[in-house]
Amino acid sequence: MSIISFTFLIFLFSVFVLYYLVPKRFQWVILLAASIVFYTAGGIQSLGFILTTATTVYIGAIAMQKLAEQQKQYLKENKAVLSKEEKTAYKTKTKKKRKYWMLAVLLLNVGLLCFFKYFHFALEQINAILHLTGATEIQDTFQFIVPLGISFYTFQATGYLLNVYWEKTTAEKNYAKMVLFVSFFPQITQGPISEYDQLSAELFAEHTFSYKNYSWGLQRLLWGFFKKMAIANVLSPWVGDIFQNYGSYAGVTVLIGAFLYSIQIYADFSGYMDIMCGFCEVLGIRLTENFERPYFSKSVAEYWRRWHMSLGAWFKNYIYFPIGMSTWSRKLAKTTRAKMGKHFANTFPATIALLIVWTATGMWHGASWAYISWGLVNGLFIILGMWLEPVYETCRNKLHLSSDIWAWRAFQTIRTFILVTFIKVLPEVGTLKDGVGLLKRIFTNYTIPATFSEWFPYVTARNTLCMIAFSVVVMFVVSLIQRRQPVRQWMHRIPVVVRLGIYVVMFLGIVYYGIPASMEVGGFMYAQF
Amino acid sequence: MEELLEIMNEINSDVDYATEDNLIDGHVYDSLEILTLITEICDTFDIEIGAKWMRNENFNSAQRIWEMIQMIQEE
Repeated sequence: MSIISFTFLIFLFSVFVLYYLVPKRFQWVILLAASIVFYTAGGIQSLGFILTTATTVYIGAIAMQKLAEQQKQYLKENKAVLSKEEKTAYKTKTKKKRKYWMLAVLLLNVGLLCFFKYFHFALEQINAILHLTGATEIQDTFQFIVPLGISFYTFQATGYLLNVYWEKTTAEKNYAKMVLFVSFFPQITQGPISEYDQLSAELFAEHTFSYKNYSWGLQRLLWGFFKKMAIANVLSPWVGDIFQNYGSYAGVTVLIGAFLYSIQIYADFSGYMDIMCGFCEVLGIRLTENFERPYFSKSVAEYWRRWHMSLGAWFKNYIYFPIGMSTWSRKLAKTTRAKMGKHFANTFPATIALLIVWTATGMWHGASWAYISWGLVNGLFIILGMWLEPVYETCRNKLHLSSDIWAWRAFQTIRTFILVTFIKVLPEVGTLKDGVGLLKRIFTNYTIPATFSEWFPYVTARNTLCMIAFSVVVMFVVSLIQRRQPVRQWMHRIPVVVRLGIYVVMFLGIVYYGIPASMEVGGFMYAQF
Repeated sequence: MEELLEIMNEINSDVDYATEDNLIDGHVYDSLEILTLITEICDTFDIEIGAKWMRNENFNSAQRIWEMIQMIQEE
């Protein structure tokens, strides 16, 4: 079911009506039914896979929980009889059993994800090796459809599994509730990747209709549709044209195209989040936020704390910290401290963890060398920033530059925006070679376009360009307001006439620019991940 | 507590640890500083901070960290 369609709007409206019509204790059942309808509308064949994940994670979590409870009970009953060694031996035995459960379920689900996402890529690599050795290549005749949202729901479900294993979360006893947690339709295709404790508290609570939630939710929904339809979808063919023909355009034209891509992907992904967060707000449900004005970041590391925040948090909680806190990592820090100093000792294990995290982040985004390289380049900038921090500090002190002055902060923000734009385009042009080629074009072609059509070869109507420029200014202003207060709070305070004017402008933008553009452009960019 | 404050001041001396209660949620500490803090705590107090303790609320203030250390020691 396309999210940019009247069918989807009717679907949302039906869910909204039913949600508030049924007795409150059954509200989550409506969400479960809606999630199954939404999921099967995308292809019934995928349903089996998401149910496999929900079922195995449910069983695994219950089994681990039971073992932990048995241990607690046993130790309590035999407190006086058991020696310290016997208690430790019993704990170790239980821990081992719990670990087997966790590993079995984790490997099954991560295995499914890897199979669907990386099978063709892995076969390509094997064939490349076979080709080099002169052996016969394996014919890739395997055709299968990747289950909808597998990258998102697998991460969310395995996060829950690990939290139960680490005893941070109690296992869910109701199977239907587990299915809803894994398949909740507003976040199934593009996230956010939620923590069980946070999302379950929202999903299974009873919600009363509130006009404030309703109006604020609809405002955000409208803003999301505006960003997706009137900005991202209008920009999509422009960026596509630049990416396809970068070799024949002037460097500066390609540079503008790269910046337009940055705007497009932000409007697309954050637009989706606004639509879904807005709808959930109408239902009284707070979804995890995925963006916090990322283009105002002062470093690549900060940018990644503010862009696709839930994915970053997942990698931090389930890969970065477990690696960084592991015994071998701490031993490494201890060994290197004596020889290389404190900064090296602290930074070295973190560097290893970051390299693993960013290789995984690249692979999560796509099965190609372009994405893996993109991940590693991001990681490299973050690692360099970490290693060079003392050098920066010395330079700042020598130059008497305070990191608090606005000019320095503005410089850092602009520098980071340019940097993340250049990194972003790398995997999006096509192959890695194309991505590098596009960047090369920017830096090696100094032709100054003479006419408007040479500056903007993809623009067919100048008023569309004006609308995009206006919309970008609006997005910028909204971000500036958000720095001081929630933008809807600000909207609530302005005169009704101005507020209505804003709604009308957004609506007209969607009707005049968004709808025609959306007829040509497909779904959301992040849905491919 | 003094030992803990010494560690924390060495990691970031710009923070007023007596009043700051948003170290993690407020991004006062970045992930490298959190890792450094954990490593230092484990070494200094001879404890293991298992994954179950890795919650933002356990690290948001010096007081909460101190309470967590005591709980781990009692385990």
